[in-house]
Amino acid sequence: MKYSENLQASIYWLVSYPKSGNTWVRTFIANLQANDLEPVDINELQTGAIASSREWVQGALDFDINELTHDEVDYLRPEAYCWLSQQMAAPQYHKIHDAYTRLANGDVLIPPVATCGSLYIVRNPLDVVVSFAHHNNCSVDQTITNMANPEFCGGNGEQGLHYQLRQRLLSWSAHVLSWLNAEGMNVALVRYEDMKCDPLNTFTKVARFLELPYDKISVEKALSHSGIEKLQAQEAKNGFKEKSQNSVNFFRKGIVGDWQKNMTEEQVQRVIDDHRDVMLRLGYLDNDGLPVRCFERSLSRINDSKYGLSPSPVS
Amino acid sequence: MGKIQIYTAFGLNISSDIELSLLRANTSGPYDICFARGNVSKSGLEGAAVIRPHSQTSPNVLWFHAPGIAWFYVTGGSQVVYEPEKGADEQSIRLYLLGTCMGALMHQRNRLVIHGNAVRIGGECVVFAGISGNGKSTLATALYQKGYQLLADDLAVIDEHYQVLPSYPQIKLWRNTADKLGIDVSLLSRIRPQIEKYVLPLTHGFCDQALPIKAVYILSTHNQDTFEFNPIRGVDKFILMKNQTYRVGHLEGLGLRAQHLKLCAQLADRTVMTRIVRPRKGFALDKLVNLIEEDMQKNGIAA
Repeated sequence: MKYSENLQASIYWLVSYPKSGNTWVRTFIANLQANDLEPVDINELQTGAIASSREWVQGALDFDINELTHDEVDYLRPEAYCWLSQQMAAPQYHKIHDAYTRLANGDVLIPPVATCGSLYIVRNPLDVVVSFAHHNNCSVDQTITNMANPEFCGGNGEQGLHYQLRQRLLSWSAHVLSWLNAEGMNVALVRYEDMKCDPLNTFTKVARFLELPYDKISVEKALSHSGIEKLQAQEAKNGFKEKSQNSVNFFRKGIVGDWQKNMTEEQVQRVIDDHRDVMLRLGYLDNDGLPVRCFERSLSRINDSKYGLSPSPVS
Repeated sequence: MGKIQIYTAFGLNISSDIELSLLRANTSGPYDICFARGNVSKSGLEGAAVIRPHSQTSPNVLWFHAPGIAWFYVTGGSQVVYEPEKGADEQSIRLYLLGTCMGALMHQRNRLVIHGNAVRIGGECVVFAGISGNGKSTLATALYQKGYQLLADDLAVIDEHYQVLPSYPQIKLWRNTADKLGIDVSLLSRIRPQIEKYVLPLTHGFCDQALPIKAVYILSTHNQDTFEFNPIRGVDKFILMKNQTYRVGHLEGLGLRAQHLKLCAQLADRTVMTRIVRPRKGFALDKLVNLIEEDMQKNGIAA
């Protein structure tokens, strides 16, 4: 069955390439919603399943999808999200790493009709390289290659079953552009660096876009509960179920500019060569094409640009 | 698709116009269940109780559409009508007949259907449940290789005497699982031409008699290197039994929810339940099997 334009849109997508601050935003949202004296347990984040959760999609369809091909499942996903959206009594916040893509039959994987809005969280690809390499216990060079590969996917094994459905990530640049240019989508862009450098201001805008409380007291409290040191302390004490078994910890450093200590000049240049246009557009390269090292100074620039976070659609 | 034959599974005779070669054939006689090709509505059911994107239910009826494969109409615990899509292969249709359709037929017959495998331990059996990908089939195959008899893979159907009914004499294995277990897939058939999953026929070691269920192990994973065996008690047993039910979403529309809750409570009351947590990476299968054997002994379950 196909869904009409009258469908109830209930899903806010928290969109990002992996290792770009999505879990931080989810933790902030969970704390904002809980409005509690104590921080929310990181292992009990009730911010909704990831879009690629096999269980979530399977639950909507309610017939066996485990023995379908990745392409066959992808054809079913848009209708599953529409149905799920229709069942929600209030907006829900769901993480997604998939790029915004169109299927071979012309349908979009993520239907705008089921979507209230998409918050695109972007992070300097140089820092993503370091974090993603650590997460996958993979070399920096291989991670750079993966991030430039237009065919790169998560959960795409052919010889076994994954908890998550295949996620087409495309290249890092194509991932960013796929969402920023998504037709009919209410997309807002937020930079990880702005979340770090100007948290109150940035998270207030995030909360407002997501139809959550955005008064100063609420935002400050939620931010205090979701600071990296609090998350690290929780992980050290009780572990974090979303950590890859390949890595030592999930909440590693969360700092801006870590690439400067962990990448060679040649590796940095490869990333710039692969992603120059999008890095320039998002303020990760300066006017001379050199990587920006201090984001306090470039903050005003991104806020003035047409891509800054805004509750209205981004063109 | 053509010649009608009678097969046996779950203690029932199944008439089918699609060959179900791995199932035990009965030469003749009356049948309890019928799989037959025919016309099926493309739009679903009149007055459906629950409507999902490709499936609909109403009391005693499940209708669903597996895109590119077939439309299915499952009714009364006894009949499946399927209408193939153009170009659909027989294996894919068979997979849905023996999976989603059979699960719904068993629900309609008021059986409790657990998404899991069943292994014979002496005169009783143990069910291994858990979400897909948690290693149910891998574990069942390892136990089979170690000499245990299997009653069921994927659908553990429990009757009114709290016995697991013998299912199909086969295990479905993904390629990487077969490789891990030293099984040569070049000798096996794919379950569908499109995917790398294979049918391992249980040439020996298939238990074809119903056995009382003694325990349920729920398999889960974590990102640590350790194994945990956590006994489940009280109301948690009931909740977990409910959650391990095969295609539990069908029950409301089928009008079977109250009956299902009753079955879950009755079974939870009679079985030992344990959650096994294993490392997500590095299955450490031998160790897991040893730990399970130790745990079963501790619980008085012995071969």
